Order: sequence, then C-alpha cells, then structure tokens
Amino acid sequence: MTALTYVVGAIALLTAIGVVASRRTIYSALSLVGNMISLAVLFLLLNAQFLAAVQVIIYAGAVMVLFIFIIALLSPGAEDAIVQDRRFWVGIVVVGVITLQIFALANNDTTRDKTGATPVLRGQKLAQAANPSDPGFQFNVDDVNKAGNVQTAGGQLFTTFLLPFEITSLLLLVAAIGAVYLTRRPPADARRL
Amino acid sequence: MLGDSEMLDDNSFPVLLALSAALFTIGAMGVLVRRNPLVVFMSIELMLNAVNLAFVTFGRFLNSEEGQIFAFMVIVVAAAEVVVGLALITQVFRTGRELDVDELSEMKE
Repeated sequence: MTALTYVVGAIALLTAIGVVASRRTIYSALSLVGNMISLAVLFLLLNAQFLAAVQVIIYAGAVMVLFIFIIALLSPGAEDAIVQDRRFWVGIVVVGVITLQIFALANNDTTRDKTGATPVLRGQKLAQAANPSDPGFQFNVDDVNKAGNVQTAGGQLFTTFLLPFEITSLLLLVAAIGAVYLTRRPPADARRL
Repeated sequence: MLGDSEMLDDNSFPVLLALSAALFTIGAMGVLVRRNPLVVFMSIELMLNAVNLAFVTFGRFLNSEEGQIFAFMVIVVAAAEVVVGLALITQVFRTGRELDVDELSEMKE
C-alpha cells in the first residue's frame, strides 16, 4: 500500500466535498477538475494508463471546458445558499440510507469471505481460481504491461466489445444531433406558438 | 514503475472501493440537496467517476480488462449526457426562468 494512494484519495474526497458544498458554481467546477485529475492518478496506480489519459483529456479537458463555458455564459457571479428546508433533510436521510446499504452489502457473507485471517472478496478468490489459460478472462498486469496498455484495451474494444463500441458511437451521434436541435433558435414564425 | 504489480497490495483493494463508495455518496448528496442544475450535473459526474473508480479497481484486482472497457463506455455516456443536459440548461435560461431544479417541474409553462 503506497502513501500515494492515501494522499490522492484524500484529495479526491476533499475536492468532491468542494463540488457539493461550494456556494459559487465556478468553485464547484474547479473542485470537479481537481477530483477528476486525482482519479486519473488513481487510474495510473491501478494499471489503467490509457484510461488515465482519456480521463484527463475528455473529462478534465473537454467536459469541464464545456461546463465552465456554460457557467460563464449563465451566472458567473451568482451565489446560491444551501437552504436547510425539508428537501435538504430528506436528501440527508436518503443519502444516509444509501451509505448504510453500501456498507451492509460490502460486509455480508456473500460478498466477503471472512473465514481466513484477513477477509477477502469472493470475486478475488474466484479470479485466482479461474483457469489462467483462458485468454478471455485473465489479464495479468505484467502481461498487459508487456503487450502495452493501449494495445490491450484497443484489442478488446475492437474484438470482444465491438457491438457496445458501435452502440456508443450511435449514442454520441444522437447526443450531437439532440444538442444542435435543442440550442437552435426557433424560426420567427414559430415563436408565437 | 506506475501500475506495477508490486505497487498495490491486496489491502488497497477495500480502501479504493470505500473511496469509490464515499465519492458516490457525496455525489448523491449533491444531486439531492443542491438546487442549481449545473451543480446537480456536476454531482452526477462525480457519481459516474466514482463508479469508474470501482470498475477499474475490480478489473485490476480480478486480473480482467473488462473494468477498463466499461469505464470507457461510462465516460462516453457521461460526455453525451453533459452535452444534452447543458443544451437543456441554456434553453431554460433563454426562456428567462430562474435556474432552480425545483422550479422546473413542468415541461411547458
């Protein structure tokens, strides 16, 4: 366990709180950039180098630029208070229930095997017991690094996951057309409607 | 080297999953508590990112590439969602209404 994981994890948590708790939208956006970059560092630690690069370029780059454009366009100086009305407390209670459920699920006997000295997840055991000669399931970290992370991910994307890949391209096309349709100015004769 | 098999041991697995759960919870709180639609969208991004972290963590510790592939798909879906969502927000702003998710309960005035 490296200290880097803890440091980056703490930064991710603090910036996440910053997104939710900032009164100015622009501070929320800047916190979100910090959060995405710290998650990219965690992806690097988890042997997902290509995903880390994609995270920085697409999320911290393209998506956040879009966000900041819209914030600058709509309400650059606006501050909104966090009102503690009924809705606020309902939100707190719902989030508390979700949190308890996550912890209960993470600790039940189906997910974790507590018979050993250190509890392990059952999926981890299954993966260790799986047939290593099955190339469709096992991607050893050192093998992936030898072949190249981008090559492995790209190979998977264009063979095993070809259909999901094509469907995502369709989704992007639909989103682009939808955005153009939504933001166009209505023609003059349609404004009376 | 980053991503080397010695870099992370089995103890970091639950830590990263707990971090993912915490980030998701904070994002859910943002969606439920905040009223500015822009902040709500950013909280949704936060939740999607937390799920990505869980995917990649599971993929890494189960020696599987699928977690990363699924994270790519999530990133694409998030990008599409942001594009359409921000287009909707600009349209709402253009009609001169206040940016508040509670006020936007109807599709048409």
